[in-house]
Amino acid sequence: MIGVLKSLTATMGTFMRKPVTIQYPTEHRKVPERERAFPILLWDFNIDEPFCTGCHACERACPVECMTVTMRDNPLFAEGKSKRRKIIDEFYIDYGRCMRCNICVEVCNFDAIAMNNTWSGHELSTVDRKELILDLDQLLDLSKRKDLQAWDPAAETRASTEGRPQPPIAQVGATEDAPAAGEPLTVAERSAEEQDSPPTP
Amino acid sequence: MALVLWGLFGVDMNVWLDAFLRLQLIVIVMTVTVMALIYVERKFVGRIQMRLGPMRTGPYGTLQSVADAVKLLTKEDLRPATADFWLFELAPYVTFVPVFMTLLALPFMEDWGVRDLQLGLFYIVAVSGVTVIGYIMAGWASDNKYALLGAVRSAAQLISYEIPLILAVLAVSMVAGSLNLNDIILQQDTIPNALLQPLPFLILLTATLAELSRRPFDIPIGESEVVGGPWVEYSGIRWSIIFALTEYAGLWGMAVLGSLVFLGGWEFPFGTSGFWGDFDFLYQMALVFAKSSFLILTMMLISATFPRLRIDQLMAFCWKILLPFGFLQIVINGIVLMYLDSEVTRDIALFATSGALLVAMAYVTYLATRQPSREARVAAMVAARSIQ
Repeated sequence: MIGVLKSLTATMGTFMRKPVTIQYPTEHRKVPERERAFPILLWDFNIDEPFCTGCHACERACPVECMTVTMRDNPLFAEGKSKRRKIIDEFYIDYGRCMRCNICVEVCNFDAIAMNNTWSGHELSTVDRKELILDLDQLLDLSKRKDLQAWDPAAETRASTEGRPQPPIAQVGATEDAPAAGEPLTVAERSAEEQDSPPTP
Repeated sequence: MALVLWGLFGVDMNVWLDAFLRLQLIVIVMTVTVMALIYVERKFVGRIQMRLGPMRTGPYGTLQSVADAVKLLTKEDLRPATADFWLFELAPYVTFVPVFMTLLALPFMEDWGVRDLQLGLFYIVAVSGVTVIGYIMAGWASDNKYALLGAVRSAAQLISYEIPLILAVLAVSMVAGSLNLNDIILQQDTIPNALLQPLPFLILLTATLAELSRRPFDIPIGESEVVGGPWVEYSGIRWSIIFALTEYAGLWGMAVLGSLVFLGGWEFPFGTSGFWGDFDFLYQMALVFAKSSFLILTMMLISATFPRLRIDQLMAFCWKILLPFGFLQIVINGIVLMYLDSEVTRDIALFATSGALLVAMAYVTYLATRQPSREARVAAMVAARSIQ
């Protein structure tokens, strides 16, 4: 009998609590920084050109063959403004085909491709599936607008291990100045580095 | 408009016109109330489950019921080819009309109902029992064995719970010495009947939940398992007449009845002679509204809290617990009212006996829930025998 009253107070208690519902289309939950939506290309703001040189590495690695890449000579290299001899000419990714496996990001030698970690990578519904084939401008758009969330794995590690005994950093093949923690430089870190040392003409 | 309202609140006019206008008012208020109740229930239960409830249609989803009504009205009205035409078509009305008829005898304000009946309580109890016929009609006419099964189950439940409901109401009318609702309300000017008769109040709440097939007792409806019991085959407007109108108008009617008979209606805290002279009816209306809202929200809370009973538990609770205690209450009421003349001692005795019965009923229910199930007892016996 007391259980009956208890259960009534329990439901009243949940009634008083704040609802957990988020009204999705008008209100968005924050996407994690490591969210892996669809691949996009990154823009090199120092030289004002894409990072991508059109080397076909991602195209060859792509398990579902959703990419089309062509390369051309870089006019800015001829002018001496850029270190890149070749630059991307045309780049198409078919988002209808892509299975978001992240392999293109891992094989890229220039860190020119990244996974979209914003909501724009998810709300992609179109009336025609041809519209899911994105060209170079569309792929670069997000990076040009600087809408991508920067993420710093080292910061997460610091936050999670703060105050705890640190494991030994030394690993096989690691040297003092080049830690082989297994984590490549992030987009944010790299652009910060390059701002420190402008390209030599 | 003002003239019409004035006529409704006192001035003489043609009897038939007067009745017609009052009926119209009730119909409009009932429809709006039903829509509001559906919205309130969805919001309330949503918040209990930490959801928001309807939010998209209109500001905070307030137009959700309107949208639903439009949807249900424009839906196809299906009828199985083998169904009995007249019974099938008429069953929703037979379920709904008794519920509507109970509303006619309720005094929503002092001396304001559609009709002030001398035997109002008796009339309400008598009329509300007719709903069962609609259920049986729907189940039989659908030519569907599941619908018939659901109809029989709901008939069993409704007829069973009708009796404790009557007993609870009867106990109160014994205390009041009248079956006229106005008299019963006027008699509660200092102490509401819920205090004098807590056990019948609880029985009425429980039996109302069962009569309306609400959640702890929704065995015949069981949306998720037996898909609506007697009205599996109904759709569109007919379904909404049965479901929305009957259920929520019934909820409203029973809540108003409970607030009038047990919570003192428009009489209890401040008395009938209000502060605003001719506009006292507004304050009375607000009082009845607040009390019936409290009852409705309590019932919704109970519905949202408790899991469904098994059918044997349901029947046992009615026949073995509610019914004997209801009878006991009536017998004790009779003794108390017979031998105690002083009003104070009478009230104290009524409260004490009814409270004691309430505690006893709770204890008996507790014992019943603690008892091992029949299967467990049989298994224990079998095990004991096999050891020998």
